[in-house]
Amino acid sequence: MAKPVVQRKYTLSERIYLVEIIKGLGLTWKHFVFNFRASLKRGPHTVPTCWQYPWDRREIAPIFRGEHMLSLDDKGREKCIACGMCARICPAQCITVKKGKVQEGEEDRYAGKFYPVSFEVDLLRCIFCGFCEETCPKNAIMLGQGYELAQYQGKDCILTRDKLLENYRSALESGNLKPPRKKVPVVGAKEKKPAKSKAQEKTEAQEA
Amino acid sequence: MNEWTIAIIKVVFIWSWTLLIATVMTWVERRGSALIQDRLGPNIAGPFGLFQPLADGIKLFTKEEFAPKHAHKILFTLGPVLFALQAFSAYAVIPFGDKIVINAKEIVLQVADVNIGFLFVLAVGSLAVYGFVVGGWGSNNKYSLLGGLRATAQLLSYEVPLGLAMLAVCMTYSSFSLREISLDQTGTFLGFLPNWGIFKQPLGFLVFIVAAYAEANRVPFDLPEAESELVAGYHTEYGGMRLGLYLFGEYVNLYTLSALMVTIYFGAWHIPYIDMSAYLSPFAYGIASFFVFFIKCAFFLWLFVWVRWTIPRFRFDQLMGLGWKSLIPLGLLNLFVTAFFIQISL
Repeated sequence: MAKPVVQRKYTLSERIYLVEIIKGLGLTWKHFVFNFRASLKRGPHTVPTCWQYPWDRREIAPIFRGEHMLSLDDKGREKCIACGMCARICPAQCITVKKGKVQEGEEDRYAGKFYPVSFEVDLLRCIFCGFCEETCPKNAIMLGQGYELAQYQGKDCILTRDKLLENYRSALESGNLKPPRKKVPVVGAKEKKPAKSKAQEKTEAQEA
Repeated sequence: MNEWTIAIIKVVFIWSWTLLIATVMTWVERRGSALIQDRLGPNIAGPFGLFQPLADGIKLFTKEEFAPKHAHKILFTLGPVLFALQAFSAYAVIPFGDKIVINAKEIVLQVADVNIGFLFVLAVGSLAVYGFVVGGWGSNNKYSLLGGLRATAQLLSYEVPLGLAMLAVCMTYSSFSLREISLDQTGTFLGFLPNWGIFKQPLGFLVFIVAAYAEANRVPFDLPEAESELVAGYHTEYGGMRLGLYLFGEYVNLYTLSALMVTIYFGAWHIPYIDMSAYLSPFAYGIASFFVFFIKCAFFLWLFVWVRWTIPRFRFDQLMGLGWKSLIPLGLLNLFVTAFFIQISL
């Protein structure tokens, strides 16, 4: 049932309207003075509702999914083994990986037996779902914190391997790397039991 | 310097001054509204964003002068010109200071001290209707036409209370000349109040200021443009410098109305209880009177902005009701009361 409309009689000052206008002017004046003082203060983000973007940025969550990067291990070797799982799972099909065999003498540059000869991420297609990052067996591809991805040319929107590695290095320098991700429980997978020592197995067998 | 040179200098000065005020007012409007609404407004271009109007001006000048396909070409071009023309010419009879003495020559700070004074302001001000209705008709757009029609109805209705309020002022000072009215407002009234028009005509001032808001098409009476109902009203189809003329004209009108209010109700260039001319040299007095007058105007200009961002828009029937059923009777009452007091004091 609809709420019955109650017609209230206006008081005299409300009907004259001028008194109410003056009250309203007082209210807006309060806002004006408060914000005027706030706008004179130095430093970013002085007026409560305004974020002055290029100078004044919001904090990003540590697990934010932004611009991609290809990570290096602690010896400075590329982690990616060019298995192509990221390219396979990508719903937008924006990743292209070309596989190459690691030659002798190159082991200090690549962690696995294979390495990506080219690794391209088409940012115009990418939907930033984070599946690539989740499926990567070596934690090689990661989504970083970069979100200013506008370019003048469409071709600049395709991240090459060099750019991806550079993204990782700059993230490492600025300390914007993601925390190591938690194990995602996989449905139907057997839980690994902690390995038992042979001595323990023996005692168990004896008890049985 | 002969009379003509002085006149031309005065015309050029007041023209560029009102243009400057109009330009700065666009910035004040945007920053003021922003601060009232907990925002910041344009603060990047120049100190405090003061160069924003320049950037806007460059933008408006370099935009394409577009006219809709079925618009009436002549009327469409004529609309903004008519509007800006009346806006700039209305200030001619309003003083902007007392007088200044340069090289032992006394110069009155007013372009033309005509003895019909504010009748001229009223006459030229009502020409604004043509700007609206010609532009609205020429656009060949239903929203523009509705805006133009609303402007006609509104401006015609509110000219009556405006005229009635001014008539009472004219009876009080027994003059139409705005300079004579200003000069009459020295000294004190009833022994302790400054001898200003507002203390002699409080009701008249109320009627005048409400009607002035309607004449300037400002919120709460901005029915002709009413962006939530009529897109943008009479200037829906306008862009570039044609739109710029409408917007500038509006701010010039605001300045004219503020100056008129200061002249007839707030003692023009007089400071209460202090006679500036006694303390200052004639040259300094001229400049001081100009600035005192301008500071008073600035308050009313700010009031226009302040009220705009406080009050919602009226409905059209409310607007007409207020005009015909409240303001005109109040104006007439004020006229009779004024006449009564003049009679008994004789």
